[in-house]
Amino acid sequence: MAVERTEELILNMGPQHPSMHGVFRMVVHFDGEIVTKIEPKVGYLHRGLEKLAESRTYPQFIPYTDRLDYLASPHNNLAYVLTVEKLMGLQIPERAEYLRVIFAELARIASHLVFIASMALDIAGWTAWAYCFRDRERILDLFEMTAGSRLTVNIMRIGGLSGEPPTEFWPALKSFLDDLPEMLEEYFGIFYGNEITQARLKGIGILSKELAENLSITGPVLRASGVNYDVRKAEPYGIYDRFDFNVPVRYGCDSYDRTLLRLDEIIESAKIIRQAMRDIPEGSVMAKVSKVIKPPVGEVYHRVENPKGELGFYIVSDGSPKPARLRIRSGTFINIQMLPIVALGWKMQDLVAIFATLDAVLGEVDK
Amino acid sequence: MFGKGLFTGLGITLKRMLQPNITEFYPEEMPKLPPRTRSSMGLDPDKCISCNMCANACPNKVISLTSEKGESNKKVLKTYQMNVGRCLFCGLCTEACPTGALHVTQQFENAIYEADELKWDMIQRARKSGGKEGQA
Amino acid sequence: MDALNQLPLSIAAAIRSLFGDSHSIWADLTMDVINIILVIVLIVLAALILILLERKIAGWTSQRPGPNRLGPHGWFQTIADALKLLGKEDVTPAGADKFIFKIAPMILFALPMMTLAVIPYGKGMSPIDLDLGIVYFLAVSAVSTLSLLMAGWSSNNKYSMLGGMRAVAQMISYEIPLIFSLLGVVMITQTFSLSKIVEAQSTVPFVVLQPLAFVIYLIAGIAEVNRAPFDLVEADQEVVAGPFTEYTGLRWGLFFLGEYGNMTAVAALTATVFLGGWQGPAILPGYAWFFLKVGIIIFFQMWVRWTFPRIRIDHLMGLAWKVLLPLSILNILLTGLGIYIYDLVLRIGG
Ligand code: SF4
Ligand code: SF4
Repeated sequence: MAVERTEELILNMGPQHPSMHGVFRMVVHFDGEIVTKIEPKVGYLHRGLEKLAESRTYPQFIPYTDRLDYLASPHNNLAYVLTVEKLMGLQIPERAEYLRVIFAELARIASHLVFIASMALDIAGWTAWAYCFRDRERILDLFEMTAGSRLTVNIMRIGGLSGEPPTEFWPALKSFLDDLPEMLEEYFGIFYGNEITQARLKGIGILSKELAENLSITGPVLRASGVNYDVRKAEPYGIYDRFDFNVPVRYGCDSYDRTLLRLDEIIESAKIIRQAMRDIPEGSVMAKVSKVIKPPVGEVYHRVENPKGELGFYIVSDGSPKPARLRIRSGTFINIQMLPIVALGWKMQDLVAIFATLDAVLGEVDK
Repeated sequence: MFGKGLFTGLGITLKRMLQPNITEFYPEEMPKLPPRTRSSMGLDPDKCISCNMCANACPNKVISLTSEKGESNKKVLKTYQMNVGRCLFCGLCTEACPTGALHVTQQFENAIYEADELKWDMIQRARKSGGKEGQA
Repeated sequence: MDALNQLPLSIAAAIRSLFGDSHSIWADLTMDVINIILVIVLIVLAALILILLERKIAGWTSQRPGPNRLGPHGWFQTIADALKLLGKEDVTPAGADKFIFKIAPMILFALPMMTLAVIPYGKGMSPIDLDLGIVYFLAVSAVSTLSLLMAGWSSNNKYSMLGGMRAVAQMISYEIPLIFSLLGVVMITQTFSLSKIVEAQSTVPFVVLQPLAFVIYLIAGIAEVNRAPFDLVEADQEVVAGPFTEYTGLRWGLFFLGEYGNMTAVAALTATVFLGGWQGPAILPGYAWFFLKVGIIIFFQMWVRWTFPRIRIDHLMGLAWKVLLPLSILNILLTGLGIYIYDLVLRIGG
């Protein structure tokens, strides 16, 4: 009788693989279809942003932050300018605060729409992908008419915003918010409510509460594991303490809850935007800032709740117009740690789905 | 009931199938971009006072300009080069310009064949477009 | 109408009459060659139209127009794509098992040719009228597994091999409910001949008598031709393109043709066995009814593809072995009971 011999299949997925978001690469060991070991390899999109910052002045670095998590660039802008403002002790006008919240939450919706789309795509729901992108267009149009760009918006400035939204912005925003429930219903119908989706995602890739906390996972991935932690509530920045919103938490710890939590967050974001639209005062959108920004000597860390997780900037200033040292704490870079632990023992298809629930944007991972 | 979601999905796709499509037919119909869209930069050489603010604001050293002293000691722009291959299209330069000489335009068809064409001579471009470049 | 209905037959008779003895060996040979050509043309035509239709439906479901550049509404797009494929370099990967690598696409392409040859396209219009039509059809279409496994194994690529392995697991599992679901019809008609099965549906198509079998066949059929949501074999998010990963140019095109040919074949069998084949109200000729029914089934397959996400591999197996197989056996039981009771009623009544 022939001797039966089994062999591990070592498969290199990425950096060019249809299911990889960006240029992520992982070397996966398979036993048949079962994953036995994962080695994530990051760095294919490394552009040295932290080092670049040292040779740029403070305002000049803002466009570079667009390129971190490029699906929610206003958030990166926001995190960075808030850090610099904290260092300078700068007060910004009320109207700018409100507009910042509106744009940040719009970006959160846009980013989550891309998440739903790519999640659907990774389990081959092509049409759901198209619907999400169709609706995200409307947010990008809002960005474009205000800031002049769709993806890398570069909208925040140290001391305020790049400009006042044009008059057609407000009706367009309102009609978008009005149509949002219908859109969400459609996504639910075609993607979440589908039995195949639920069978694919429910109970898959359990990230326990303890593990999530120990790995310092943040963002929706953490909240889907039953931890009520959101920087907007835990350490309110800007004017987030003025709004009445919930932090959606789910307790399933699985891929389906991680996916569904994004839908909940879209609803909450829309709530925040509506309140901001109601309360926004008149006024200028830019504080008086000197032409050359020279923050005092010191160091500062500030964090915001990015759609993907906690995004923090750490800046050391030596009093010159350029940061002496800048360091970025990006959410997905740290969230990716869970992949080699959580995806073990699942099938190849589940690995793809679990990775998709992380909503990794490689611009943020590799920096 | 099991299977309800499947039929809902089928219903949605069928409904969408029958609805008019939403594609923009781009080369035939040019999209109307809002006036703030940063698709290219345009220069109005007559307005430029050669103050170099734009070049200083640029994070990536895209802009290089030279000027010479004209009559009554006023600076006159001589050359204005943009190395757009390095441009982030962030718009910091146009924001910095005190006279509005440098402005964003909605000319988004910037595809080129040769790497050399990435070096824009802004004065020449301004002359060629005859001030019309604002309308994409 | 009758003339239109008989048109293909009259043409055939006319061709035969060109020979002195219209049933001489030469006349038969000529007709066979014509039939072969017709089937090939059918496959190529079906593939060209279906690929375009698929892209159109993909577009329409997401509110896009689909291909719209070449020809009226983009109808010539697939032809251009086919020409492009002809011009592509034929790459054989290093370390591939060359002979098997090259022969695999041809096998897949040959299968729909063989299966479509026994389908009755109209009254008396099967290119070959086999007494064991269904058995032949199923036996031949089962070979496509082999082609995919050959392609996957010979490519010397891990993704291809995974895809090939998936193909074997999936298609062998689905073969069984597929065959069992057809058994009910065979029990009623007492024949394996496809043209006799169609004739037996002159009053009521078997979808009414065998709804369960119809649904099982539809699902298993989609799985059998590797279409979404059962397209694990070529699941691009996981195994890139499965067995086809390493293929280029014309060979890849052959796979594509074969895939769409197989899809047409499965749809044609569904129409024949469950939807009454060429039977239909006399407003349209029989073959038109047949193609209309095939078209509806194919549309349904595409519609499903562009709506559903992909199923997971263990659920796929579970569906075949734990749901479809028991159901199809139940269907056989019910059919047997039904036939028995019907006979009993007839005997009591008569
Ligand atoms: S758009 Fe930005 S990168 Fe480009 S020239 Fe202006 S400042 Fe420089
Ligand atoms: S900032 Fe404006 S005025 Fe000054 S040099 Fe640049 S383009 Fe000319």
